[in-house]
Amino acid sequence: MSHPTHADGGHDLPHSHQKHYLIVAAVLTVVTAVEIGILFLPAVNGTWWVVPFIGVLAVFKFGLVVGEFMHLRPDHGVYKFLFMSPMFLALFSFIALSALAVVTYQPFGGGYAITQRDRKAGFVPPSAGGGFEVAWPEDKLKAAFAEAEKGGFAKGKATFASTCANCHRGDGGGMPALGPNMTDDCFKHGGSLAELYTTIGKGVQGTAMPAWSTSMSPDAIRQAAFFVRSLKGKNVAGGLECVGTKVAD
Amino acid sequence: MSEAVAIAHDGHSHDGHGHDAGHGHDAGHGHHQLTENNFLGLPNIKLAMWAFLGSECMFFGSLIGTYFFYREMSLGGPMPEDIFDVNITSISTFLLLMSSVTMALAVDNARQRNFGKMRAFILATAAQGAAFVGFQIYEFSHFVAHGLKLSTSLFGSTFYTMTGFHGAHVSVGVIWLVMVALLATQGKLNKDKIAINVEVMGLYWHFVDIVWIIIFTFVYLLEFTR
Ligand code: HEC
Repeated sequence: MSHPTHADGGHDLPHSHQKHYLIVAAVLTVVTAVEIGILFLPAVNGTWWVVPFIGVLAVFKFGLVVGEFMHLRPDHGVYKFLFMSPMFLALFSFIALSALAVVTYQPFGGGYAITQRDRKAGFVPPSAGGGFEVAWPEDKLKAAFAEAEKGGFAKGKATFASTCANCHRGDGGGMPALGPNMTDDCFKHGGSLAELYTTIGKGVQGTAMPAWSTSMSPDAIRQAAFFVRSLKGKNVAGGLECVGTKVAD
Repeated sequence: MSEAVAIAHDGHSHDGHGHDAGHGHDAGHGHHQLTENNFLGLPNIKLAMWAFLGSECMFFGSLIGTYFFYREMSLGGPMPEDIFDVNITSISTFLLLMSSVTMALAVDNARQRNFGKMRAFILATAAQGAAFVGFQIYEFSHFVAHGLKLSTSLFGSTFYTMTGFHGAHVSVGVIWLVMVALLATQGKLNKDKIAINVEVMGLYWHFVDIVWIIIFTFVYLLEFTR
């Protein structure tokens, strides 16, 4: 038979746990207050043990709710098995995922972009020119464009392949839900060289399009803009639908 | 929906041990086996809930794990420390924590057959749960206004998926609680089976709370450590 916890023979009512529950509630409140309060103590927040400490407190609260409120501690072993074996499995996959994230971490996502972690770690990519300057006047840009064209847009092409293709596809045809087609003649943010330069440098707030000025020099951004512009009207096979307005020239 | 109907039909004395002639078999509602004791002497409905909650551990474990896998790997968009508000989240966390207390008291009163108090505690639990969901709706719209959408960044995708599924669980729990309270008001609950059913509902509710304990600490508070 199962594991009796409280006398409950016949129609006798099980005795009440209310006082016990209120004590548990008080403990949970205090522990939560400590967890939050500790972050507001400048002398403490910043020491190495804060993260493990609030982690232990969370696990303690978890155990308290499961053990006392959910009554698992005094309950039948079959319940414990049913709940705790998948719980530990979940814990191990969690630890494995976190370890994998640490092991596979590479600065700049392996070369193509600056992640938030890189920024926090203070990495500055080799190509960064620092700061973002306003676009050159259109005629100066046109001259530089002609120059780049002679070189087959080699620099911009390389940047695009390493940095932009993840979202805009290798041939610029775009990827659903990631980045729009660069080879049609539609632009949401303008197709002139200056507009392209600005869009790439500043990114598009609220979309996946990052502000590349934080990781690329103005010259690299210009070269990327030239290459993007050279894709206009190529209409590669399988490219995404037109988004934005058509730009004639 | 179906849970609430089941509540009206099934039930058993708590703790799954034994079992007395007066309990459990007098409903006349057909042959519902859910609250019957099985060969282990345990009510099936409670075993089923624990097994379900075990699978839910894996579900939320993967969502939280994925969030951590991609933590700080976003390329752009608002970052957690830009938009998290520890005050608001602490209030809603506290509400959810206290809703576990009222839930435990509801279960206790169901066992004591104080059905009036039980209903009051169930409604108090539902109210706190609803307030939590309200805070979450506020938080989400605040985040969207700051440029964090589901598709903005890895942070947006993993954060909304994880907390959104949790909020959906809380919402389901609130509906369940309200339906049981309504049925209790209408006198449609089988008084001999109510204790086990409220207990099982409580297991679900407490589980939703413990998931939040983990999310609150490891997703929110972590951003405020130096
Ligand atoms: C993480 C995905 C991602 C990466 C990487 C990315 N983009 Fe984008 N890009 C987008 C998205 C999404 C949009 C659409 C923004 C919008 O809806 O306004 C976009 C829009 C653009 C636009 C504006 C198109 C228009 O219609 O006006 C240009 C130009 C552009 N990207 C160039 C680049 C270049 C050059 C790179 C590489 C340096 C790059 N993108 C890398 C996601 C990305």
